Amino acid sequence: MIEAAFPVLGAAFVVLCVLPVCALLAKGVLLLLERDEAGGALHGLDLRYALLTFASVLPLVWFVSAGLQQVWSGGSELACLLDHGARGECAETAFFLLTLGASVLLLTVPAWRDHVAPPAASSEAQQALAQRLERVFAAHPALQSLRGRVHATRAADFAIGTHGLFRLRIFVGVAFAARLTDDMLASALGHESEHVRSLDPLRYVLLRATQAINPLGRVLLAPHVARWYAAREAHCDREAVLRGASPLPLADAIVRAARPSAREQVALGARDVEMLTFRVRMLMAFSERPPARCCEQGPAVAPMVLVLLALTVFLPGEIGADVLDTLHACSERALHSLVR
Amino acid sequence: MEVVWSKRLVSFAVSDVLAELEKQREIAYTTVMTTVVRLHDKGLLDRVRDGRRYLYSPKVTREQFLESTAWTVLDEAVGGRAAMAMLVDKVSEASAGELDALEELIRQRREELGA
Repeated sequence: MIEAAFPVLGAAFVVLCVLPVCALLAKGVLLLLERDEAGGALHGLDLRYALLTFASVLPLVWFVSAGLQQVWSGGSELACLLDHGARGECAETAFFLLTLGASVLLLTVPAWRDHVAPPAASSEAQQALAQRLERVFAAHPALQSLRGRVHATRAADFAIGTHGLFRLRIFVGVAFAARLTDDMLASALGHESEHVRSLDPLRYVLLRATQAINPLGRVLLAPHVARWYAAREAHCDREAVLRGASPLPLADAIVRAARPSAREQVALGARDVEMLTFRVRMLMAFSERPPARCCEQGPAVAPMVLVLLALTVFLPGEIGADVLDTLHACSERALHSLVR
Repeated sequence: MEVVWSKRLVSFAVSDVLAELEKQREIAYTTVMTTVVRLHDKGLLDRVRDGRRYLYSPKVTREQFLESTAWTVLDEAVGGRAAMAMLVDKVSEASAGELDALEELIRQRREELGA
């Protein structure tokens, strides 16, 4: 039984102690960032996203990297308190990685499973939408990149949304499309094209998954996640206008998409209306004076994220897997003292 | 500020705002003057002396002003449950009146811009 100590207790320690501490640290940095009102609530979204996800991703990557390097180098028996006989092979690090992987998989399954595409509409509805889209694309060359990506859905009360992790598709509700003018449809597609360009559905699912892994993720980071989602949608409005969408038709499309049908039961309250009003007012401001492209820390975030990830992957090999060794030894000592 | 932004007033006197507001309703000069002075005190308007009166100009655009209020709005955000990237979350039926008001606001802005 003692062979299971490190795989089980080690994985539990990572999930139940390391991840919450990282969530706490991320919350501290997020609070500092959000307190800096001059930075603007709608800016620095990539940095905030990196903090929200890295609170779970970086520690996991660190332990997996350290574990893999230890498995390959066969160094885990040095920390192991157990006698593995003449062969001296210690497979516990491999089992630790398997346990950790299985825990992550189990905890994140709901996040991946919820990402379901709405049902496709009939071929007639698809054709009608395709004909309309031809007109829209001809009038708005900036939307050409969406050719072949836009599909009609028969899902009742579905407005418009982007689905897919790597092969992204935009779904438009048949009834919703019928309520929009071509200008409104083009502007709404402009908004969705920003989601496509930034692989937002993948980002959303990753964010949900990292929240699900972290036991304190939901408690500590939920308000920051909600703010990030809301700001992200406002950001896509701005980007759509920068890429040629008309602000007022987009505002109109947003209000129409937010209106539930008589059948629909929507439990959201006035708080969501406040955000909706804010977006509409921003678009009205853009109709007076076009927005300027923002030059905040966005471009610097991607290299920073890559460097951080690379360091997390390679550092355990360079400076030794002391953390993993300590965890290994402590797990076995803890179980040993319990059994005794 | 609504009048200043929507009418794109760059350098204006209290009487210019009064003239715009009087198109919509009857309003006293002193009311408008008090409001304009308060907006200046709050840092939303700049002013320079022009003889016996002041000429005002907006210090912030509507977008800048809205952005400065964004944290307050975002503090109330409760969304973020969607697994897909949606244009907007639907609001409750109870908010139909607010949606009507927003549609009316957009319609008015269309008319203003058209005019």
